[in-house]
Amino acid sequence: MNKQWLVRAFSKTLTLNLTSSTSYVRPFCSATNSTFAIKNVTKKNFDSALEDLKKHVRDADFVSVDLEMTGVTSAPWRESLDFDRFDVRYLKVKDSVEKFAVVQFGVCPFKWDSSKESFIAHPYNFYIFPRKELPFDGPAHEFLCQTTSIGFLAKYQFDFNACIHEGISYLSREQEAEALGRLNLAYEDELSNSAGHLKESRDSSSVRSADILFTWRMKNRFSEWRDSLLRNGGCQFEENSKDLTPQFQTVFYKMRPALKLNGFTSHQLRLIRLVTTKHFKELAFVRTNGENSSEQKLVVYTDSEDDRDMLMKEVRDDLHKEAELKVKAAAGFRHVIDLLSSEQKLVVGHNSFLDIAHIYSKFFGPLPSTVDEFVSCVHKNFRHIIDTKLLLNTDNVIQQLMRKKSTSLSSAFALLCPQIAFASESSALVRRPGVKVEVQVDDMRSSNWNSGAKHEAGYDAFMTGCVFAQACSHLGIDFKLHSLSSTGLAYHEKLQKYINLLYISWNNDAIIDLHTRNKTFGSSAHHNHKRRYPQILFPNIVLVWGFPSKFKPRDLKDCVTKVFGPDSVTSIYYLDETASFIQFSKKEFVSDFLELKETLDGKSDPISVLHPLSKLLEGGKTRAATYEVYKEICSSSISKKLFADQAEAVGIKCKNKVVELREGEPQGIENIEAPSSSSTEVEAGNLNSDSVNKNEIDKRSCDLKKDLSHRHLSGVELMDALYVTESQHEKRSKTSANA
Amino acid sequence: MVAKLLQRRLLCTKAANHQHQQQQPWSRWSVKQVSKSNFSESLEELKNHIHNSDFIAVSSQKTGAFSSPWRRVLPFLDTPETAYLKSKDAAERFQVLQFVVCPFTLKPSTPTSNTKIIAHPYNFHLFPRDELNMGMPSYSFSCQTSYLTSMAREGFDFNVCIYDGISYLSRVQESIAKDRLENPSSAIYSVKSSSTPSVADAVFTERIKSRVQYWRDACKNKNKGSEEALIRSLRRLILGGEVYGSRPCMSIDVCNERQVQLVLKMLSEFFDDLIPLIIPDNGKGPKAVRVVLTSSAEDKNLLERELQDLEGEQNRKVRGFREVIDAISASQKPVIAYDCLNEFTFIHSKFLGPLPQSLNEFMCSLRLVFPHVLDVNNLLKEIGPLRKANNLPAALSYLKRQFFVPVDMEIPHQVQENEGKNYGHNVLRTAYLFAKLSSILKITHDTPHSVIDDLPSSKSYANIFNTCFTNLQEPIDGENILLDNVRKVNTEDLVFFWGFRGGMSAGELRNLLRGTHGVFSEEFEIQMVDKSCAVLAFWKPNLAEKLLEVMDSSGVGSDKVRELISEGLRAASYEIYKKVCQLGLWETDLADSFDKALAECPDDISAADSRKESSEIYWNSDLIKLDDL
Repeated sequence: MNKQWLVRAFSKTLTLNLTSSTSYVRPFCSATNSTFAIKNVTKKNFDSALEDLKKHVRDADFVSVDLEMTGVTSAPWRESLDFDRFDVRYLKVKDSVEKFAVVQFGVCPFKWDSSKESFIAHPYNFYIFPRKELPFDGPAHEFLCQTTSIGFLAKYQFDFNACIHEGISYLSREQEAEALGRLNLAYEDELSNSAGHLKESRDSSSVRSADILFTWRMKNRFSEWRDSLLRNGGCQFEENSKDLTPQFQTVFYKMRPALKLNGFTSHQLRLIRLVTTKHFKELAFVRTNGENSSEQKLVVYTDSEDDRDMLMKEVRDDLHKEAELKVKAAAGFRHVIDLLSSEQKLVVGHNSFLDIAHIYSKFFGPLPSTVDEFVSCVHKNFRHIIDTKLLLNTDNVIQQLMRKKSTSLSSAFALLCPQIAFASESSALVRRPGVKVEVQVDDMRSSNWNSGAKHEAGYDAFMTGCVFAQACSHLGIDFKLHSLSSTGLAYHEKLQKYINLLYISWNNDAIIDLHTRNKTFGSSAHHNHKRRYPQILFPNIVLVWGFPSKFKPRDLKDCVTKVFGPDSVTSIYYLDETASFIQFSKKEFVSDFLELKETLDGKSDPISVLHPLSKLLEGGKTRAATYEVYKEICSSSISKKLFADQAEAVGIKCKNKVVELREGEPQGIENIEAPSSSSTEVEAGNLNSDSVNKNEIDKRSCDLKKDLSHRHLSGVELMDALYVTESQHEKRSKTSANA
Repeated sequence: MVAKLLQRRLLCTKAANHQHQQQQPWSRWSVKQVSKSNFSESLEELKNHIHNSDFIAVSSQKTGAFSSPWRRVLPFLDTPETAYLKSKDAAERFQVLQFVVCPFTLKPSTPTSNTKIIAHPYNFHLFPRDELNMGMPSYSFSCQTSYLTSMAREGFDFNVCIYDGISYLSRVQESIAKDRLENPSSAIYSVKSSSTPSVADAVFTERIKSRVQYWRDACKNKNKGSEEALIRSLRRLILGGEVYGSRPCMSIDVCNERQVQLVLKMLSEFFDDLIPLIIPDNGKGPKAVRVVLTSSAEDKNLLERELQDLEGEQNRKVRGFREVIDAISASQKPVIAYDCLNEFTFIHSKFLGPLPQSLNEFMCSLRLVFPHVLDVNNLLKEIGPLRKANNLPAALSYLKRQFFVPVDMEIPHQVQENEGKNYGHNVLRTAYLFAKLSSILKITHDTPHSVIDDLPSSKSYANIFNTCFTNLQEPIDGENILLDNVRKVNTEDLVFFWGFRGGMSAGELRNLLRGTHGVFSEEFEIQMVDKSCAVLAFWKPNLAEKLLEVMDSSGVGSDKVRELISEGLRAASYEIYKKVCQLGLWETDLADSFDKALAECPDDISAADSRKESSEIYWNSDLIKLDDL
């Protein structure tokens, strides 16, 4: 999940190679052109696209979605770790979601066409950008970009210009409500003010003589004009008609004669407004938006004070309506989300916890502080969500089919839907009769569509939907028999085992049920092959940071075992080069360790200096705390690159807490894992997840070779870890060779 | 407006005509666009131009300027120190996407010709791509949405930057990278004739010499006879021979720098066909010397050149765009910029190293790299010390109206094919403005340094930075010159207020406060800092202190103040504002930052009160229009 970019980087390389090699092969099985582009939507064609999409979503059996963001983690240590408890994992997702922007949103409605015995898919690729469309608080003033993610997007020719120049803006529901509330407040304010006593201009103190002259002149002008109106019964005000753009122009406004004011500065207009309200009962100063939305300023003649009040009310109502419309329009892309939510369609995503969190925070409101609240809010808005990654990993039939291959989106797509993925390559592959999917973009249709080398959110959403359709068929759902219209796919009995389950963290197989809010550790086949790492017990964990940089995991272990005995340390896990977890075999060691550290700190008597632990404290910057403090550090909005710097930046506040926690038994720390079943084991260093791309593995194995004990070391497992990277590496190359 | 303009034209036809002519169609000028593909050649060109120039103007395009309204440098509020801290935060947060460098020469006006600028503008597109796979130069960066939007409106091409932008490493990052890279560096060391060799040295040298001799002979012989593969590989195993490219080589393990010197000395004395390479050991000094055997003198030259190229390429890859900064620095020429504090905090943080904690340290650190920095903004103050133009176009049009200083611009560049995609013209504006100012202030290129040093503004380097301006990205109409309404006010006489009803204006707050306490019967002024917080200035001393005392004691002796406090009103001194900036409590609303500062270190703050350092700021009641925020 957290390395989504990398996954895509890898998976996209696969498909990229593929398409580039097939581009010159003419599709033989279909007469229709299969290389038309995906439906790209920017603010220019958003309105029409939304109308089409509404129709497609309404008819759809399910809708798949996919997002592209400007980044995933705001600091290296914020990546998903094996030592992440559910709450910590959520805090990390929350941090990611609050900091990064969504730049592309893929939506792909799928509908079963029984006459053709095929699905019809309508992939849409929306460019979105958090542009500020309203004068007050818009989406985000600022967002973060992770350099590698941006580089990755660039590698796949993401069009940043399209995104920033023409991306569709949006407001979350909360922002819209706030904007409307503000409008109404302003409207009411104006109503109460309009009762006659206009607000005194702010600085009435310093009146310049030039202003006085100007005011006089305007007063004369207006009374002349009024008099001429009265005399001539509404005939033209001739004076300035020779000029091309006269300063005053007589027009009609809402059936009343009016003077249109041109070419005045805002200061002059303010003075004019004062003049009209002070000296003319029958004249009203009006700001209005004329045709082509340019602002007009008018001085309007009214018959009486009542008439003037009526006019002013009319104007205000108009402006208010207009402003409301503007706010509605500013909601922009959110209309798509509202549509998905209100249609209550089955939403399909691939490893989509982060995506869903983005959707929530961008289009509904700020993320709640706990995962439980978040999940129940999501469930209220999206009744049925299915995660294809979870489906592929938990269903036995599909697992057999996948033969433990990677469940990354593109490899699953290639494996499960060869009839679509390799449609144009044809003969070489023995065709398994798969679920047919026909793609429709505007008026073009194809049953072996390939968008070309572009792999963007829209295409990924399409792949996700295809994988889901195929997986359903493997589960034994027969689309031909199933009368989807009556109950809907979401209620199909064969899907009930998977519906509304999401990986909160794919790394350690942590699953959350959106409906019941139950959190479990799954029993995915891929996690079962070997029990490699000891069970993680959060109350037994101490977090150490700021130790000397030369300190390696082995040194750390030696140092601690010298004090607490050879069996005291269960495992050591480096968050980055400045921080590490130590899991003790007994809970008591945690408080013992912290106490001992506290007493040794800052002492320079011989006993303290010779103490085995003093090596760890060298430099005087070493800090230690319980797992709860780690959670607190994760919850901070600050993101320093190194954990030690982060802890220091946050630490100003929690200095006291370190001590506090040391004194009492750590409270409220529960190990969430169910201790009985064998599936509770959490596999650290799970490098065979698809969340690691080849580069990453290269880098990691490289790191491991260089510094054999960089991250995770618990005795003999060191070599194992190395083995894992290498074997994975092999496997990886094999996969790419296969593809 | 039109009338005004006409009037002016009638009064001064010549000036008006001239003005018309000088209405620079900036986009007409060709700025050379540089990205990854043409970086090397452009760098060489630019180095030449820098060498031949009098001044170097710089400007840059960033991804943002400030994260929330109060976090920009506020002219009516910030001391140089707090302005620096704000700029520091922005420089660390945002990214530079374009850096424009323009070396130029000035030809002063003669009776027959105008002042003339000959300029060579180069616009470098940057992107902090992690070329070395080491998480550098930056893990992530921020973008200010409105900033990007307005860049887009001006036709900025983001794809060029992101796809083809040049990467870079700061000087500090380069040394970290070099440590980690473990690349062999060619050792064209100057062999130091150091202390007399000891016996141990002699033994070491002799031993190495015979080893090298033996290996070299073996290599040379090998070429004669055709050996079996097995024997060849055995020989290689025994001799410890390796291959460097196509040439044979061997490694000599060394323990310290001294031994490296000995080996190098020995090699240069006894062998003329061997080239040594020093293999570093993970940043802890040399690990080994690798000796490469060349077949002839020609071959030796070839290899030496190869190594040099390799190093150059390596450097280019590591330093990237920073070579430009290094070239500017090496030239020691005066660097001209508009809004120097902003520009140079970015330069320091991206291309030199992490920004220090205080303005003074920053100045010291920067002075070592750029000895002469000139802020055009500051020069502008020399002409009309009490006039302000708050952006570059405004400053230009102000000068146009006030002075008749014709300046011609010449750009010898050839027109590029990518016309229409010309960016980076602000640097030309800066140079142009500087040219005008320098002819008004009589700065000539013959004695730039001494003249600059004579300027009152440059007497102290610290003064060069005009902290009172920020170059706002928001559209500001060109004529926005503000007559001064500034008044000096001591920071001790300022009080910050927050916790009042949202959406309150300065006037409303004023009315709210008036009459609640005796101090408010004296003259005071209020300005909004952002929508959550206001600052109040007393014109008489000690009133602020008195007010803060009352607020601290929860309104003892004044029921009305107590009432306000119970409704949530809070107050703080300028010292706490400084603390907020120092601690980096950069919340969106200043009110939240104040609350945090008070919650975090109440002790610190009372301590700070006792050793208050006061400074003066220029209170300007006109400058900030809150509607714009």
